[in-house]
Amino acid sequence: MSLFLTILSAGVITYVTRASLIIAGDRVTLPGQVERALKYVAPAAFAAIAAPALLGGDQFAAFGDDMPRIIAVLLAGVVIARTRSVPLSLFAGMSALWLILWVS
Amino acid sequence: MADFSFDRHAFWAGFRDIVPLAVPGIPFGFVLGVVIAESGLDRFVAWLSSPLVLAGASQLAAIELLAESAGAAVVLVTVAFINSRHLMYSAVLRPTFSNFPNWFKIIGPYLLIDQAFALAITQPDDTDDRARMWHFLGSGALVWLVWMVSTGMGVVVGDITKPEWQLGFAVPLLFGGLMIISITNRAGIVAAVVGAVVAVLGADLPQGSGVLLAIVLGVVAGGFADTRLGATPEATP
Repeated sequence: MSLFLTILSAGVITYVTRASLIIAGDRVTLPGQVERALKYVAPAAFAAIAAPALLGGDQFAAFGDDMPRIIAVLLAGVVIARTRSVPLSLFAGMSALWLILWVS
Repeated sequence: MADFSFDRHAFWAGFRDIVPLAVPGIPFGFVLGVVIAESGLDRFVAWLSSPLVLAGASQLAAIELLAESAGAAVVLVTVAFINSRHLMYSAVLRPTFSNFPNWFKIIGPYLLIDQAFALAITQPDDTDDRARMWHFLGSGALVWLVWMVSTGMGVVVGDITKPEWQLGFAVPLLFGGLMIISITNRAGIVAAVVGAVVAVLGADLPQGSGVLLAIVLGVVAGGFADTRLGATPEATP
């Protein structure tokens, strides 16, 4: 499938997800089990995307090379857990990474 | 038929009220733009995901997968999974929107982004339908504008950034942060751990299908833990 068609389809899928229940009105209801499972899509999906990327593909590379990244991740994690602010944690993590890479 | 004519006051109030929620999206949009510029994909077509999909996390995941030449099916199913939370939004707002005109029921859901949802559910109960509708449209309009401009800026500026700045590292940082925010109970931790472990173990599966498998198993594990652990108190954002 061409890039444009893939992105267009992604848009259609997203729109249908947002619109279906609103357009259908009271005719459609979600089973309770599905509604409960939907709560866990976000943590599962975000973890699944973040974890392999954090390991940078070369999963078992020398520990030393990964140190700046690990420190940056831990710092960003602490910041977001305390402030719930995505931009702040991004700022903290990237600054830490740049500082360590610049110093070493 | 109730009056739903343009309510300028409510529209601009929505436009203003969502500014504090929209501002944190700017660096996110910018990073997405840079990732698009560095992905090797046709950057204009990839940027079109902003007006067409209008959901940052799923756009970022889709661009990452497409850049690794994952199959279209994997990309689309991943987008569907990440955006399935919008099904919940639409379930929550359905009673609120039920008396709105039909044209709104077509256009409104397009703007049903996280921030607009968060603002819509926190409007005072005594707001009348007409004001509520235009307030929602005003808030959606601002988030839309901010998203188009910030992702577009990232695409344009992406050219002058250098690989050694490691800007790509902002992507896992972002998703890691979103993961932490989205965990509201112990079952959420189970879902995240299962998702992360399966994704790492399945990193070499064809066409990025490891991510998909990880999401499915993570959601199933989360749902299972939810039933087993019972309803633990949830932090409301």
